[in-house]
Amino acid sequence: MKKYAYLNTNNGILLLSLFCLSGIAQAGIVPDELKFHGFLTQGFFHSSDNNIFGQSDDGITPGLTEIGLNVSYQPLDRLRFTAQGLYRRDGDVDRGSVKLDYGLADLTLWNYASGRIGLRAGRVKTPYGLYNETRDVSFTHPTILLPQGIYFNRSRSLLISADGGSLYAEQRTHYGDFSFKFNVGVPLGNNREIRSTVLGPDAKGEFQAQPAIAAQLNYEINGGEYVFAVSYVDLELEYRPVAGDTFSSGEAHIRPLVFSAQYNGEKFSLTGEYDYRWNSVSNFGTSFPDFKSVTESWYIQGGYQILEQLRANIRYDVLYNNKNDRGGQRAVALGLPNHAAYAKDWMFGLRWDMTTSWMLRAEYHRIHGTAWLPQADNSIRSLTVQDWDLYGLQLSFRF
Amino acid sequence: METFTLQQFVHEKLASSLRVGIIIAIMSLSSVNAAEIVVNQTVPSKQYTLAEVRAVFMMRQQFWPNGERIKVFTLSDDDFLHKDFVKNNLNMFPHQLRRIWDRMLYSGTGAIPVQLDSEQEMIDKIANTPYAIGYLNSRTDNEKIRLFEYQ
Repeated sequence: MKKYAYLNTNNGILLLSLFCLSGIAQAGIVPDELKFHGFLTQGFFHSSDNNIFGQSDDGITPGLTEIGLNVSYQPLDRLRFTAQGLYRRDGDVDRGSVKLDYGLADLTLWNYASGRIGLRAGRVKTPYGLYNETRDVSFTHPTILLPQGIYFNRSRSLLISADGGSLYAEQRTHYGDFSFKFNVGVPLGNNREIRSTVLGPDAKGEFQAQPAIAAQLNYEINGGEYVFAVSYVDLELEYRPVAGDTFSSGEAHIRPLVFSAQYNGEKFSLTGEYDYRWNSVSNFGTSFPDFKSVTESWYIQGGYQILEQLRANIRYDVLYNNKNDRGGQRAVALGLPNHAAYAKDWMFGLRWDMTTSWMLRAEYHRIHGTAWLPQADNSIRSLTVQDWDLYGLQLSFRF
Repeated sequence: METFTLQQFVHEKLASSLRVGIIIAIMSLSSVNAAEIVVNQTVPSKQYTLAEVRAVFMMRQQFWPNGERIKVFTLSDDDFLHKDFVKNNLNMFPHQLRRIWDRMLYSGTGAIPVQLDSEQEMIDKIANTPYAIGYLNSRTDNEKIRLFEYQ
């Protein structure tokens, strides 16, 4: 496919400017109060069947690029400004766009010996599970692909960040550190992928996100040796039909509840997360009756530091779009193959931290089901295959 | 029989002197490589706890008891002194600190320590930055730098 043949010049320029900026930041030309950090990731994928990050089937796609740059400035002891720009390319889901990932003012309202309470306002990252707030920063999670049952790539825009505010509280105790976030805001985004998830591939209108709530309670023992978290998000989408649309202006409601646990030992780590997600759609007209379902997903992931710079990771990830219809009868009724209703993914990966700023990793997936395959990369769902292999390679840099 | 006991005697002597040698080597090694937490002289004196020191380096405790903002300095993650400091002074693993810092840095929820390139730079920064904290390998006689006491 021609459109992936060029790792286009835009990327080259972005890359060059990132390296320049990293040099400038390190050379101390910018004032001390301004802090710059950034990252760059390029991924390559090949699959036996089905497409992800572009044309991965029968070829190699360089369809995942992530370049980020953040800056922070602290004018007062209790006030801090920070922003991060993100360039991202994700196959046919996103052909390449620059977005403000977050941009906020952080005000500490009350600071005391064992904790603090504060407010963040602007564009704020959405707390959800262990990895969501830094999901686009490859260094912060062990594998190239996050477990897709919980961290969908295709509907990512709903959970990336929201325009609004966040109230946060942190409390340190003898038993560990607690932190709590309560966010209210309008999620960003292009919601075409969500449209096809909810209404099937034929819907033409647009979903608009309403103000959403996201809350997370996090508990860490011994400096993060053990981490536990509960996250809850309440999302509402309103559908705006186009002329001649078969759907009327309905609403979709998505409410995930995620339980997370992690052990971070010296060499061994173990992570598990469980997502119970209530979905409901209503008022889409006679051709699409009101419907409620529960999506269920979980994964378990182990990591072991084989050598000082080399880590092996293994994971099993399960997703059922509707836990009362594991076989996918409803998917068939929507015009999709039944295997679009589930996905079970065995993953084995190696991560090589060559230096503190360069990382290379590779992974293999054996996948049964197509529930999290992006619609944009697989426009004809009947051609997707139930059992498939996915290979990924990724190079990352940060400063 | 006699030669055997003599041999045994020699072996024992050798083994014990070897043992002493190893102990001395370990002692000198540990004294060379033991990281010490240091602060700028402006930092208020108090009997700090290990939990507080950890909270400072995790960037969760941001102010000294007198209300001044803490300035945290570290070396690179792969620096031997940094690893030694995290393991032996904080009783943590370097990847735990990295995880906490990365989460704050890339989610916009907090600042991370200023990373320096060498111990000499650490001495300069701690000496010249009010309310600074960091760590050193060897004692310094810079009068603006004080050993940080904690239990």
